[in-house]
Amino acid sequence: MTRLVDVRDLRVTFGHGARAVEAVRGVSFHVGAGETVSLVGESGSGKSVSALSILQLLPYPKAWHPSGSIRFRDRELMGAPAAELRAIRGDRIAMVFQEPMTSLNPLHTIERQVAETLVLHKHMLPPDARARTVELLSLVGLPNAAQRLRAYPHELSGGQRQRVMIAMALANAPDLLIADEPTTAVDVTIQAQILRLVKDLQRQLGMAVLWITHDLDVVRKISDRVYVMNEGEVKESGTPAEIFERPQHPYTRKLLDARPKGRGAPVPGDAAEIMRVDGLKVWFPIRAGILKRTVDHVKAVDGVGLTVRAGQTVGVVGESGSGKTTLGLAALRLTRATGGGVYFDGRDLLALPPRDVRPLRSDMQIVFQDPYGSLSPRMSVGQIIGEGLAAHARLPAVEGERRALIAGILEEVGLEPAMQDRYPHEFSGGQRQRIAVARALALRPKFIVLDEPTSALDVSVQAQILDLLRDLQARHRLAYLFISHDLKVIRALADHVVVMHHGKIVEQGPADAVFDRPREPYTRALLAAALDLEVVDAAAVST
Amino acid sequence: MAADTFLGRPISPLTRRRIDNFRANRRGYGALWIFGVLFALSLVAELWANDKPLVVRHAGNWYVPIFATYPETTFGGIFKTEADYRSAEVQRLIEDEGDGWIVWPPVRYSYDTYKKDLPPGVGAPSPPTAFDNWLGTDDQARDVLARAIYGFRMSVLFALVLTALSAVVGVAAGAVQGYFGGWVDLVMQRFIEVWTSIPLLFTLIILASIVEPNVWWLLGIMLLFEWVAFVYIVRAEFLKVRNLDYVRAARALGVLDRHIMFRHILPNAMVSTLTYLPFVLTGAVTLLTSLDFLGFGLPPGSPSLGEMVGQGKENPQAPWLGLTAFTVLSVMLVLLVFVGEAVRDAFDPYKAVDA
Repeated sequence: MTRLVDVRDLRVTFGHGARAVEAVRGVSFHVGAGETVSLVGESGSGKSVSALSILQLLPYPKAWHPSGSIRFRDRELMGAPAAELRAIRGDRIAMVFQEPMTSLNPLHTIERQVAETLVLHKHMLPPDARARTVELLSLVGLPNAAQRLRAYPHELSGGQRQRVMIAMALANAPDLLIADEPTTAVDVTIQAQILRLVKDLQRQLGMAVLWITHDLDVVRKISDRVYVMNEGEVKESGTPAEIFERPQHPYTRKLLDARPKGRGAPVPGDAAEIMRVDGLKVWFPIRAGILKRTVDHVKAVDGVGLTVRAGQTVGVVGESGSGKTTLGLAALRLTRATGGGVYFDGRDLLALPPRDVRPLRSDMQIVFQDPYGSLSPRMSVGQIIGEGLAAHARLPAVEGERRALIAGILEEVGLEPAMQDRYPHEFSGGQRQRIAVARALALRPKFIVLDEPTSALDVSVQAQILDLLRDLQARHRLAYLFISHDLKVIRALADHVVVMHHGKIVEQGPADAVFDRPREPYTRALLAAALDLEVVDAAAVST
Repeated sequence: MAADTFLGRPISPLTRRRIDNFRANRRGYGALWIFGVLFALSLVAELWANDKPLVVRHAGNWYVPIFATYPETTFGGIFKTEADYRSAEVQRLIEDEGDGWIVWPPVRYSYDTYKKDLPPGVGAPSPPTAFDNWLGTDDQARDVLARAIYGFRMSVLFALVLTALSAVVGVAAGAVQGYFGGWVDLVMQRFIEVWTSIPLLFTLIILASIVEPNVWWLLGIMLLFEWVAFVYIVRAEFLKVRNLDYVRAARALGVLDRHIMFRHILPNAMVSTLTYLPFVLTGAVTLLTSLDFLGFGLPPGSPSLGEMVGQGKENPQAPWLGLTAFTVLSVMLVLLVFVGEAVRDAFDPYKAVDA
C-alpha cells in the first residue's frame, strides 16, 4: 500500500530552555491511502500534538520540532511555506475536532460555514457551492438538509453539529481525515452513529482516516492499524487483533487490563433500606411574557422512584440531559425538589427544616465528576478533609490528634499521610479524586452519591478509583448511588441498575437482568451503542 | 518538590505565576518601585521638609526640635512659647550667644509655614528662589514644594483609606447578594441603582453648607458612594462560584453558609477585587482633588493638591503654582495606572509569562 502520510522521528517541544517540555519524543507512523489508523493513548501521551503537527497547526514558535519529517504524497510538510500548507489544509487533509459546541462559529449559518471551504479551495460560485453543500449535508445524514441551510449552530443538537463538522471536513473530498476525539464529547448512541457514518463515508470516498482517541473499544471497532502512545512515544503498533489479543508492550497490557471488569456484589434482600426516593420531581419553570408567568416546566426529574440498601450499589445510567445528576443532587437536598419524597433512614428529607438536615449531612455524602473543580484551590488537603468534621464539631482540638485522624483517612484512600499539608494543584487527577473520596469518607457516612466519579480520568486511573470504591464499600458497608453515562463502569460496580431518559426511569432492575435481558427498546439501543458501538433501533434514541 | 517562597512565605505555583506576570510588565513593576519610594519618603516628610531643625547644639547641650518642643527660654530668649527657629532672633541666640549650630532639613518649610521675611517689593505668591523656596510660594506665602510633598501624602493616604473601607463594605454587600441571590439580590440591586443616581458632588456641596467639613466627614460621605464600585464584580464572582462543585461539596458536608462564603468563595472574589483596586485608588485621588479645587474638600490650611490647582487658576502670573500641582498629580496618577495595569496582567489567566 502506498504511504499517504509518512511521519518519521517526529519530536515536538514546547517552550525553550529550562521550561521546555518534550511533548513528543521521536514518533514515527504512517497512513496508507484509504486506511484507518488510530493513535490511542491517555491524556498527555502526545497523540493530539502528533496529529496537529501533520498540518503544522501547533502554536509556533512556542512549539518547535527538534527533529522529524512529515511527508504527504512525497511533499515535505515540515517547515513548508504557509501558502503551500494552506492549500493542503481543508483541501487534501481535513480535520474534525472534539468539541462540537465550540468548533462551529455561532454567528454564521451552517451553509456559510460549509460553503466557505468550497469557495476558498475550489473557487466555486455561490449557486454551485450551495448545491454541493446540500449534497454534503445529506451525505452526513443531516435530515432535511436543504431546509436547514440557514440554521445556526445553536439550533442543532450535539450530534448534528458533529455531522456538520464532518460535512465541512469532507467538502473537498480530502485524501486524509484527521479525527481528534470526535466522539468523546457526545453520547454513546450518537457515537455509534458517527462511527458508522465515518465508516460508510470512507468506503464511498476512499479516503484515509487518522483517528485519535483514548477509547480502546472505538479503536478496536474501526481501525486497520493501531499505534499505542504513551509519554510522547509509540509503545507498540500493529493490527487491532495483534494489539488486543497478543499485546507485547507492558504499557499496552496495563491499558487493556485497566478496562472495568468484575460485577457488582449482590446484597441480601433483607438489607436495611438507607435511601428511598419516591415519585421525585425536579421541575424548572420556563417563564414568558412581561409578567414572567410560568408557562411550562423543564422536567429534569419527573416522578422517579428507587431504593438503595446498606452495602448496595445502585447504578443510574443515562445520556446527557437525562436528569441523572439532578436526581443525585435532589436526593441529598442540594437542589430543590418540586414534589415527591426522599426518605433517608426513614425520615423525609424534603419535609425537614434546614436545621434538622444539617446533622444528617454527616451520614450522606457526594463525590463529583471533575476532580479539578471539586476541591477548593486555596485550602490544603488536610483542611479540605477536616472541614466536614469541623462543621459537625468532630475535629479534635489537639493538633496531633487532628493530624493523626486525617492521616488515617488519607491512608484509607491510598494516599500518603504527609500529603495533608499540600495543596490540590500538586496532585494528579486520580489523586485529587482520592482526596474527594477521602473528604466524603471522613464523616463515616452510610450513603454516598457518586456523580460520574471516574469520567474525567484516564482509563488506568479509572480502574484504580473503581477498585478503591469497591474496597471501601466492602469494608464499611457503604451504600452507593452511582451515576454514570459509562455502561461498562456501571456493569462492573452496580448491583441494581436504573436507566433514565428525559427525566423518567425507562427501566430498572437487577444489573444482570437489565444488561442481559433488556426489555425496553431504549435500553437495547443504549446497550448496543455503549457495549458494541452499534446502532440499533435508532428510532428509540435522538439523533 | 522544593517549596517556592516569596518574601519568606511558601507560595503556590499560581501565585508564583502572578508574581512573574507582574514583574514581566516592566513598566508597572518600575512604577510600583517609584511610587513605593515616593510614598515612603512622603511618610517621613517631617524629616526633610520642616520648619524645625533636625538637631540643635546650644551651650554644650543637644536638642532635637522635630521630636520635642522647647520654649524659647531654653535658648536664653524671653518667650515661654515654643521657639520659632526660623526667626533671626532665635537663630542669633543659638549660634552666637549659645556658641552652637543648627542642622536644618533640606526644605526649611512645613506645609503650614508662612514665610514672613519676603524680600521688599516681592509679594506672595513669590517666584522660585535657589536654596530657599525652590518652587516658590503660594498666595499665602507658604512654600510650594513643602505643600506639594504633604499634599501628595494626604492624597495617597486619603485614597488608600477610602479604597480599603469601600472595598470592605462593597465586598461584603456583593458577597451577600451573590451568595443568596433571589429576592435579597433583587432588592439590593434596585437600592443600589437608586443610590448611585444621587449625585455625590451636590450632596457634598449641600452638606458643606451645614457642617464644617473635615477629613473624617469627607471620608464618610465619599464612602457612602464609593463602595458601590465593588458590589458588581464581587456579586458576579459569587454568583459564579456558588455553583461550583467544591462549594456544593461543602454544602453537602453541612458547612455553615458564612463559612462557605468566607473560606471558599471570598478568596476567588478577592482576585477580581484586587484587579480593580488600583483604579478605584486613582479615582479617589481625582475625586478629592476636584473637591478641594472647588473648595468643598479638606478644611482650609490642609495640604491639598486641589487647592494648589485652584491657586494656579487664580494666579496666572505665578505659573509655578499650576505647574507644580499638575506635575505632582499627573506623575502620581500615571504611576498608579501603570501599577494597576500590571496588577491586571498578573491576574489575567490567559497571559503566559514567556509569550
